[in-house]
Amino acid sequence: MFLPDFDYHAPETLAEACDLVRDLGPSAKVLAGGTDLLIKLKHGLVTPTAVISLKALDELKTITHVPGRGVVIGARATHNDLVNSPLLHERFLSVSEAAHKLANNQVRNRGTVGGNLVNAIPSADLPPILIALDAWITLVGSNTSRTVPLHSFFTGPSCCVIDPVDEILTEIVLPDQQTTGSTYLKFALRRSGALSVTGVAVAVTMDGDTIVDSRICLGAVFPVPVRANDAEDLLRGKTWSDELLAEAGEAASCCALPITDIRGTAEYRLDLVRVLTKRALKRAITEGHV
Amino acid sequence: MSETVKQDHAVIGKSVPKIDGREKVTGAARYTADLKFPNMLFGKILTSPFAHARIISIDTSEAEKIPGVRAVITHKDAPTLKYGISPARWDENIFCIDTVKFVGDKVAAVACIDEQTCYKALAAIKVEYEELPAVLDPLHATDEDQPQIHPEFVRNINAEIHQDFGDVEAAFKDAHYVRTDTFVGNRTYQTPIEPHTATSMWDGEKLTVYSSTQSPHYFQYYIAREFGLPMGDVRVLKTYVGGGFGGKLEPTGLEFGGAILAKITGRPVKMFYDRAEMFAHNRGRHRQYMTITSGVDKDGKILGVHADFVMDGGAYTSLGIATAYYAGAMLTLTYEFDNFRFDMLRVYTNLPACGAQRGHGAPQPRYAFEAHLDNIAKDLDIDPMDIRILNARRPNTTTPNEFLVNSCEMKACLEKAREISGWDEKKGNLPKGRGIGVATGSFVSGAGYPIYRTDLPHAAAMIKVGEDGTAATLYTGATDIGQGSDTVLCQMAAEAMGYTYEQMKIVAADTETTPHDFGAYASRQTLMSGAAVKQAGEEVKAQMLEIAAEMLDFPAVDLDIREGKVFSPGNASVTLTFEEVARHFFVNRGPLVGKGSYTPPKLGGKFKGAAVGTSPAYSFAAQVSEVEIDEETGEINVLDVWDVHDCGTVINPALLEAQVHGALFMGLGESIWEEVKFDDKGRILNPNLSEYRIPTAVDMPVVHSALVDSYEPAGPWGVKEVGEGATLPTMGCFRNAIFDAMGVSINSLPLGYEKVWRALKERREEGPAE
Ligand SMILES: Cc1cc2nc3c(=O)[nH]c(=O)nc-3n(C[C@H](O)[C@H](O)[C@H](O)COP(=O)(O)OP(=O)(O)OC[C@H]3O[C@@H](n4cnc5c(N)ncnc54)[C@H](O)[C@@H]3O)c2cc1C
Repeated sequence: MFLPDFDYHAPETLAEACDLVRDLGPSAKVLAGGTDLLIKLKHGLVTPTAVISLKALDELKTITHVPGRGVVIGARATHNDLVNSPLLHERFLSVSEAAHKLANNQVRNRGTVGGNLVNAIPSADLPPILIALDAWITLVGSNTSRTVPLHSFFTGPSCCVIDPVDEILTEIVLPDQQTTGSTYLKFALRRSGALSVTGVAVAVTMDGDTIVDSRICLGAVFPVPVRANDAEDLLRGKTWSDELLAEAGEAASCCALPITDIRGTAEYRLDLVRVLTKRALKRAITEGHV
Repeated sequence: MSETVKQDHAVIGKSVPKIDGREKVTGAARYTADLKFPNMLFGKILTSPFAHARIISIDTSEAEKIPGVRAVITHKDAPTLKYGISPARWDENIFCIDTVKFVGDKVAAVACIDEQTCYKALAAIKVEYEELPAVLDPLHATDEDQPQIHPEFVRNINAEIHQDFGDVEAAFKDAHYVRTDTFVGNRTYQTPIEPHTATSMWDGEKLTVYSSTQSPHYFQYYIAREFGLPMGDVRVLKTYVGGGFGGKLEPTGLEFGGAILAKITGRPVKMFYDRAEMFAHNRGRHRQYMTITSGVDKDGKILGVHADFVMDGGAYTSLGIATAYYAGAMLTLTYEFDNFRFDMLRVYTNLPACGAQRGHGAPQPRYAFEAHLDNIAKDLDIDPMDIRILNARRPNTTTPNEFLVNSCEMKACLEKAREISGWDEKKGNLPKGRGIGVATGSFVSGAGYPIYRTDLPHAAAMIKVGEDGTAATLYTGATDIGQGSDTVLCQMAAEAMGYTYEQMKIVAADTETTPHDFGAYASRQTLMSGAAVKQAGEEVKAQMLEIAAEMLDFPAVDLDIREGKVFSPGNASVTLTFEEVARHFFVNRGPLVGKGSYTPPKLGGKFKGAAVGTSPAYSFAAQVSEVEIDEETGEINVLDVWDVHDCGTVINPALLEAQVHGALFMGLGESIWEEVKFDDKGRILNPNLSEYRIPTAVDMPVVHSALVDSYEPAGPWGVKEVGEGATLPTMGCFRNAIFDAMGVSINSLPLGYEKVWRALKERREEGPAE
């Protein structure tokens, strides 16, 4: 278990970082908190000759509200930055809560939002809630900058649309929105430091007891975080009731295509999707952004 | 808790701070892997990637050419003498010779100038294998068509046990009700937080090994035997040990390999396992298939029990022959019945060898038996608490397998657990999804016989009082692996001498400087090492009194010593300090030294395997737990656990409670989450702490730990064990609480959320019973 030798860069500006990413090409890896990358390096799963640390880019660490854009989360914000952000507590407590369900305190102190997204494992905890809140992200290259809706960011396990030899993920934006409630339920086999067996995030827009709209995103049950469109359609415009939410749960499990692995069977995960979806909906409907 | 402590003790019975607490908490404590020696090399072991394969050739030439590599060794460089727990089952070589028998079997080793170079060297060793079919299913290991793992052990049978006491068939015939259940206990791993390490070095023909071990003595014995050295030329010692739980009781390969590499290179060699290598070396808990049949009368009184088990031993015997005997032997302790039959088959498979893990062989059978008893209670409509109290063992009784039980407060433990848990109010009245369960446990306070045949005393101790009497040093072979034996033994020494704990120093677990002791296993040190320490302390005190009598010109019989003061109970004007007397002693008579040793009485019956499970004393415990089950997901939420222990006199209440908490922590993990999983090639799928899930602090339930009054005549000051016994009831207790909450029986460990979910689903699909 040893880190291999590599050149280490810690650029002072984003432009410098982007140039390095472009110039060093596939032989380099971007380093944020390192909670995923260092493990891969030690196991020899990736063998870069250079590592570009983002640690000097403090402008990527802030969480602010920008009128007209929404809540802007810097890619280098750590999970505990999300957990402790007064702005998130006020607007989207559900995001703080989701971050708090991730890993353990040590990892939350180091791991970043950007790393969680670019790492793109199907069981990652932040993508479902961010997708449910309709987040989009900014990818900056040496000469480019583009925005991508998060729901179309992931392309497969450990795969996403970022151009690894040109782009850096700089920010995640939660647009100003009409949603009245959101939540993320994580089901794991221990209270701390356990990856999700299944995770379900929902965001709802209510008008009294009527569900105007909803977004449901499932984690760990598909190669990428996946929207439960059938369940969303079923709910749209209806007055909510426990029976309706139970039906939505059934519909959501039809949208999942889980695998059997060391943490649980596909059969179990499908049923968890059903249960977690109805519970998450009820929470978001009755308790707001939690 | 203090009510059980006799008031006339000055030092024992108090929660004095741990003697090494400051070092550990501040990070100053140096563990074996922290030790550095001039010119020290690093060593690593190359292991087999196959579960079963023939070694065609090993080519080390490329590895030897790598700069920084100092030695590469294989079986050709090592003694070929096999080792293991008992001569009939010495089945393991230092390095594999012809075949590898599990993924992780040891093939070669390297010593290099740094750790990085070791990995390069390991990768450069070319081993040509011919893969063989592997035995991975213990239930089919004895089938005719299965490959043979050890030629000497036909049909892969490592051990077969048949013990029969009383007349079980007749008991079943007379019984009002007979029931059979089958349960499965799974492979778990000790997971000590400190990885195994050994640093070996030679000084001429003398070998010194610093090891993170539970028993320097056994390591010394095994190493001397392998290398044909006199025991006196092998010194094994430890610094601080970060937990063992049974996994550091037998040689790890690091000591043997390190000794050879150090000899060849003439330099100290540090060898260690990383987390995955620890899992691969393993020696954790066996997988056991346990069928139990019991007959009871109409009140639920147990008349006879038949335990029929199969155990997956893995590729070697390890300590597993003892485990196999313990699995049955310990079933007779907590409840009284006269008729008992025990059949056991321990089979070889091409999986890592299993050994001793906290509670050695007993916790899974205890889970099975406690679950089985709840099934019987339910069938007969008896309260689970009542059926246990009805059958509870009484003091001064003998088990069918001839264990003498002196002190035994099993019934009092159950009654107290009933009371403090609110059992009677809760049973049957808890809200939906909640349940309450009870189970018992009992464990040896030290094994009646040593691991290898020898007439050495089990424990010995020496106390040397400093020249000016301001300090005294206890020399003991007892091994503190975190449980706190250094602390309690110093308390005991001070108590026996009439001294203070704060002035005690300790030198422990060094085969050269400390007197012999078998070490930390079988929950033996408080009773056995403690008995030797008490004797040594009393010898010091007697010498002190004799010379104090001279100094004071006062009869020794009228003098006493307590907390560093020499005094006469009848005459307040007669006083001296311990220091004054000790100094006077040294000036006039030379070193003030006390010695003690302990050998247990001859114990047990004459039948085959009668020795395993014998002990001078047994602890008893009852546990009640309350759980909440999520009916839809199967999630198990453990709310509260009440543990009531009969462990004799308590030396240090805080450390005792820490043992109960620690045992419960381990028991909780094994009950609900922990399981070493394999793929279809015999490779471990989860050799890490992220997918092998031990509990975290936030998973711990509220623990209520209580004691009952008890005094054990066989123990110094009336002590007996607590360290392992507290693990025993836990798994059965949780199973029974889930059974109470949901009415479903989880018949294999770990109980697991998905298993509960599946059981509930199957019941729904079957429709309501009757
Ligand atoms: C013990 C443990 C428990 C864990 N538990 C969980 C859990 O419960 N839930 C969960 O979701 N995750 C968990 N993780 C995974 C991990 O902690 C998270 O995914 C974390 O958010 C990764 O962030 P990081 O900053 O450490 O990423 P890094 O390791 O630094 O990077 C990860 C990947 O993203 C790339 N990258 C990082 N930042 C950027 C950027 N701004 N632009 C472009 N590329 C970038 C890196 O090149 C690398 O490929 C756990 C990890 C550990 C070690």
